Amino acid sequence: MAGKASLFVIAGFSILFLVLSRNFGSVSNRAVDNYVNYNKDVISYNIAVSGANLAANRIFLDPTWNDGYHNMPYQDGELNVDVTVLDVYKNIRQITATGTFDGQTSTVKVKLAPSKFSKFAYYSVNEGGSIWWTDNDTVWGPFHTQDYMRVYRHPVFYGKATSRRRIVYYSSEKKDKPYFFGGYEQGIDLPLPDDAVDDMEAPALDDGLIFTGHDTIYMTFERDTLRCRFSYNSSDSLIYLPTAAPNGLIFAKNSIVRLKGIVKGQYTLGCNSTYSSSKGTIYLDDNIIFDKDPRIYPSSNDLLGICAENDVILTNNTPNHSDINIDASIFCEKGGFGAEDYDSRPPSGNINLLGGIIQNTRKAVGTFSSSGTSTGFNKRYKYDNRLLIASPPFFPGTGSFEIVSWYE
Amino acid sequence: MGFSTILDILGSMIIGGILISIAWRLNDAATEKTYNNSGELSLQQNLATVAQIIEFDFRKIGYCEDWNKIPDPTKSILYADETSIKFLTDVDNNNTVDSIFYYLGPTSELTETPNPRDRVLYRVVNNETPAPSNLGITSFRMVYFDALGDTLYLPIYNYGAIASVEINLTVENVAAYDTAYSTAFWRQIRLVARNLKNR
Repeated sequence: MAGKASLFVIAGFSILFLVLSRNFGSVSNRAVDNYVNYNKDVISYNIAVSGANLAANRIFLDPTWNDGYHNMPYQDGELNVDVTVLDVYKNIRQITATGTFDGQTSTVKVKLAPSKFSKFAYYSVNEGGSIWWTDNDTVWGPFHTQDYMRVYRHPVFYGKATSRRRIVYYSSEKKDKPYFFGGYEQGIDLPLPDDAVDDMEAPALDDGLIFTGHDTIYMTFERDTLRCRFSYNSSDSLIYLPTAAPNGLIFAKNSIVRLKGIVKGQYTLGCNSTYSSSKGTIYLDDNIIFDKDPRIYPSSNDLLGICAENDVILTNNTPNHSDINIDASIFCEKGGFGAEDYDSRPPSGNINLLGGIIQNTRKAVGTFSSSGTSTGFNKRYKYDNRLLIASPPFFPGTGSFEIVSWYE
Repeated sequence: MGFSTILDILGSMIIGGILISIAWRLNDAATEKTYNNSGELSLQQNLATVAQIIEFDFRKIGYCEDWNKIPDPTKSILYADETSIKFLTDVDNNNTVDSIFYYLGPTSELTETPNPRDRVLYRVVNNETPAPSNLGITSFRMVYFDALGDTLYLPIYNYGAIASVEINLTVENVAAYDTAYSTAFWRQIRLVARNLKNR
């Protein structure tokens, strides 16, 4: 009898322990599963992100690359990447990267669009040697320089800032560190093309307006009409731009252009130099502004690109001695944006720029002393935010793509 | 017979008592362990779920299916402090810009749970009414870094300076045996939302 009771007791405890251990085992397994699944998720995600980065890099190096990667072993998982063209006309591409690890799959989709120089609020190849960005300077849009980025007392950069060479602090990082409100990357190589302005000739011949054989062209935009003459004292010709330049490109071949007026619509003015470095320069003789200021009319679609093979110069004349207003994205392929006689002209007020400056070499627009402006202009540059997603027609491209959307 | 029987009965009572005591303690220990282990399991599940939701949302800061609808992604963070953040994204990838607001409720909201530290982490999309869901979160804390990797000190006056975020999340059981609450901690050391600085 006692033996039977003992057996019951032992059997009872055994069953109890079995049930308990099974429960504890199950709980432990599920807890571990939790971490394992999270880990699988993270690894498959990392594989997908790596695939997207690998493909984006290939496309940056070779914009025509669309091979993708198929069943590529990666980090003990598998990687697949497809490159598709979403919009043939705008050349919008999408990278779809799929990472698989131990049954878990993650997908990353990256959209790329051709990059234009017009997106920059400020771009330079050469910062002019000893010009510093100071606490008086604020750049409101994307910034890039191929040169050192010289900073003094916390300049402010609201857009994404990049530089090919490093940041140079005037005294120390603590005293001079810039405020980057749009991020910063160093080591980005983005050279200016050598013949971007020359390349405008073909589309201007095709469906734009082209001027050839003139030493100097005086152009005045009168909304959608262009008033032009070829010597100072001659009479103006009127050209209705929507019919004369339906693709929005106006090109002055081997000339000097003297420009002013009010622009209605979207146009790019290109001016090159085929024989002499004295050509390919655009002088701004007075205000060149939009018909509808986008800061007042947000739906304004007026855009202007001013693209000179050499310089864009603020003329030393009476209208420009009391401020100049410029609504445009300015591109200087071999030269820069500066003021004529910057160190001898009278104090000329402000340069009120709405747009961006893309130049080879930074140039001066005035001189300053402790009491203020001695000669030339003060800078009041505002970025036209529309340039982040829109561009004047045929404005030079970087030849590469930029990531416009990253979905994961 | 009488003395021996008494001894037998006493011995049986002692052995029976010991057995009952063992069984009682076994039951108590089993209850405690089951409670705690199950609590830890649900705690870990809660943590993994919250972490995945947070990662899913935060990685999309500044994203929209039609990127032209957020032309300047650097302005996507609308508000940020230590325990709350509001930002723009296209959360359901439907071409519409949404706002998401994460914030931590006060401990006084969850007085009905035994854990005195648990709080509600709210995730409010657009103008939805905040719906509480108690996952045992006791701490949700963010640290922000600028483009050069330096810590941004609070309060942040220009949210465009934020380039990456460290997210710290602590989860505890909402109830525990003998108030021995289990804790699980998750930290995303540097979460970079790729759309935030892509242009």
